[in-house]
Amino acid sequence: MSKKVFHTTLKRPGIMPSWTRRWRLNGMLIAGLCLLLPLAVIAVFASWLSFLDPLSIDASSQLLPPSWNHPFGTDNFGRDVLARTVYGAQVSLRVGLGSMLLTAFFGVFFGVISGWYRWADAIIGRFTDSLMIFPGFVLAIMIMAAIGPSEFNVIISVTVLYVPQVIRTVRASIVEFRSAEFVDAARTIGVGDIRLLFVHIFPKAAGPVMVQLSFGFAWAVLVEAGLSFLGLGTPPPAPSWGNMIAEARDFIRSAWWMITIPGGMITLAVLGLNLIGDGLRDMLDPRLKDRGVL
Amino acid sequence: MVEYTLRRVLSFIPTIIITLTSIFFITRMIPGSPIAALIGHQAVGAEQIEAISSDLGLDKSLIDQYLEWLPAVLTGDFGTSLFYEDSVVQVVMDRFPVTLYLTVFSMILTILVGIPLGIYASIRRGRVADYASNVFSSLGMAMPSFWLGFLLIILFAVTLDWLPASGYRSPDFGIWEWLKRLILPVLAQSLAQIGLVVRMTRASMIDVLDQEYITMARAKGLPESRVVLKHALKNAMTQISTVVGLTFALGLGGSVIIENVFALPGLGQLITIAAVRRDYAMLEGGIFYLTLVALIVNLAVDLAYAYFNPRIRHTG
Repeated sequence: MSKKVFHTTLKRPGIMPSWTRRWRLNGMLIAGLCLLLPLAVIAVFASWLSFLDPLSIDASSQLLPPSWNHPFGTDNFGRDVLARTVYGAQVSLRVGLGSMLLTAFFGVFFGVISGWYRWADAIIGRFTDSLMIFPGFVLAIMIMAAIGPSEFNVIISVTVLYVPQVIRTVRASIVEFRSAEFVDAARTIGVGDIRLLFVHIFPKAAGPVMVQLSFGFAWAVLVEAGLSFLGLGTPPPAPSWGNMIAEARDFIRSAWWMITIPGGMITLAVLGLNLIGDGLRDMLDPRLKDRGVL
Repeated sequence: MVEYTLRRVLSFIPTIIITLTSIFFITRMIPGSPIAALIGHQAVGAEQIEAISSDLGLDKSLIDQYLEWLPAVLTGDFGTSLFYEDSVVQVVMDRFPVTLYLTVFSMILTILVGIPLGIYASIRRGRVADYASNVFSSLGMAMPSFWLGFLLIILFAVTLDWLPASGYRSPDFGIWEWLKRLILPVLAQSLAQIGLVVRMTRASMIDVLDQEYITMARAKGLPESRVVLKHALKNAMTQISTVVGLTFALGLGGSVIIENVFALPGLGQLITIAAVRRDYAMLEGGIFYLTLVALIVNLAVDLAYAYFNPRIRHTG
C-alpha cells in the first residue's frame, strides 16, 4: 500500500516536456477521432478505392436519386455525388493541413521573437493588431479578391487570418517564461538565445498552440467551404464541399441529396475536429478542464 | 468612467487609419489587377491600358497613390464604383440597413437564447440538460451557416410554405412583409453564435459559481435564484460581454454568406459581388463600413466591460 502511494506521489523527471505526461485518451478525443478518421482515411486512399471519376459528365444520368450505382445520387451534370464528396474531402483536408502547418511555422517563429525581443514586439504587435481588426471572414474575402480564387490561395488567406492568434498565444507564454529561474540558469551555463528559446522554452508552451491549431483546422474547413460557396475559393469543376453546395442551390426542390450530403460532411468534419480540440485542451491544460473554452 | 470613455474614444482615430491602410495595401497586393478586371477578356492595345491606368492613377507609385487615397477616404470619398457607376458611399448607404437589421436581430436572438441557456447548463452541470445543451451548441458551431440556411428554406419555405425562401422588402411595405423575410436569415445566422455564447456563458458561470463568496451567499441562506442571477451573474458578465462582442464581429463576417443565400441586398452581398467582379473601390468601401460597425460594437463592449469591472477603468 505504502509503496503504491510513493509511486503516485513521486514526480519522475523525464526528458519529455511536462505536458506530455498528461497524455491520456479522453472521451471527447476518442469521439472526435471516430468522426474524423474514417473520413480522412477514405479521402487519403480515394484513388485506390475505385470511386467513379468526380469530373466525368454523363448527360443520360442527370439528377438521379441515391441508388446502388450512385449511393449519394448524381448531380445536374450526371456526375457521381459520392465521388465528388470524397474528392471534396481531399480539398478540405489539404486546405486545413496546409494552412495549419504554415500557421504553426509562422505563428511560432514570430510569436517567439515577439515574446523575447522587445524591439520586435512593437512591430509584430502592430501587424497582428491591424489584421485582427477585421471580422475574420471579411478579411478572407478581401485577400481572395486580391490574389484570385484557387485552392492554394485559400490556404494563404486562412493562414493570414489565423497566424495573428497563434502569435499572440506563443508570445504570451514566452513572456511568462522570460524571467523564469530555469531560463536564468540556462543562461548562466552559456546557452545561446536560439537554443534557449526553441529547446528550453518553446516546448513548455507548445500545448496551447496544438489546441489552437486543432480548432484552427476546423475553422479552415468552414472558411474554405464558405469561400468556395461564394465562388472565391476552389474554382469549379474541381469538387469542394463549398462549391458543391453552391451548385446544388438551384436544385433544392428536386434533388435534396445534392445539398444535404456535402453540408452534412462539413458538419461531421468540423464537429470531429472541434471535439479533438476540446479533448486535447483537457489533456494539455487541466486548468481549463470542464470550461469548454478556448 | 468619463475619463476612460474619452480615452477609449480617442484611441479610435488611429485604429481607423490602420484599418484603412490595411485595406489599401491588401487589395493592391497585386499591381495592375484592377485593369485586368476592368478590361476582362477584351483585346486591348498597350496605349489603351496606359490611358486607363493613368485615368485610375495606377501609373503612380503605390505610396503616392496611398497618400492621395487616404485623405480622400477620410473625408468619406471612396470614389466611384466601376460597375454601379455611382458613388461608393451612396451604394453602401443604400445597402447598410439590411445588414444592420440582420446582424442586430440575430445578436438579440443570440443574447436572449444563449445567455439563459448557458446559465441553465451551468447550474445543471453534468446532468442531462447540460449534455443536451452541449450537443446543441457543438452541432450549431459545426454546421456551416449557409448550409443551415438552405435546410431552413427546404423546411419552412419549400415543404411547409410558411415563409418566403428569399428576397427582401423594406419596412415601408408593412412590418410583417419586412419581418417575415428576415426570420429565416436571422435563424440561420444565429445558431452558431448561440452555440458559442452558450459555451462561454456556461464556462464563465462555472468559474464564478465555484468561488467561495458564492458558498458564503448560499450559507447566508439567500435563495438560489438570487445567488445565481445576482451574485454570480454580475461577475460572470465581464467575460460574457467580451464574448458577445466577439460574436458580433463573427456575425458580421457570417452575414456576408447569409445575405448571399437569402438574396438580401445588404453590404455582405455587395462585398461578394465586388470581390468576384474585382470592383476594388466598391470592395474597399464596403469592407471599411462593415469593419467600422465591428469596431464601434467593440468599443461599446469595452465600455460595458469597464462598467461591469471597475478594475479596468482604474488601472487601464
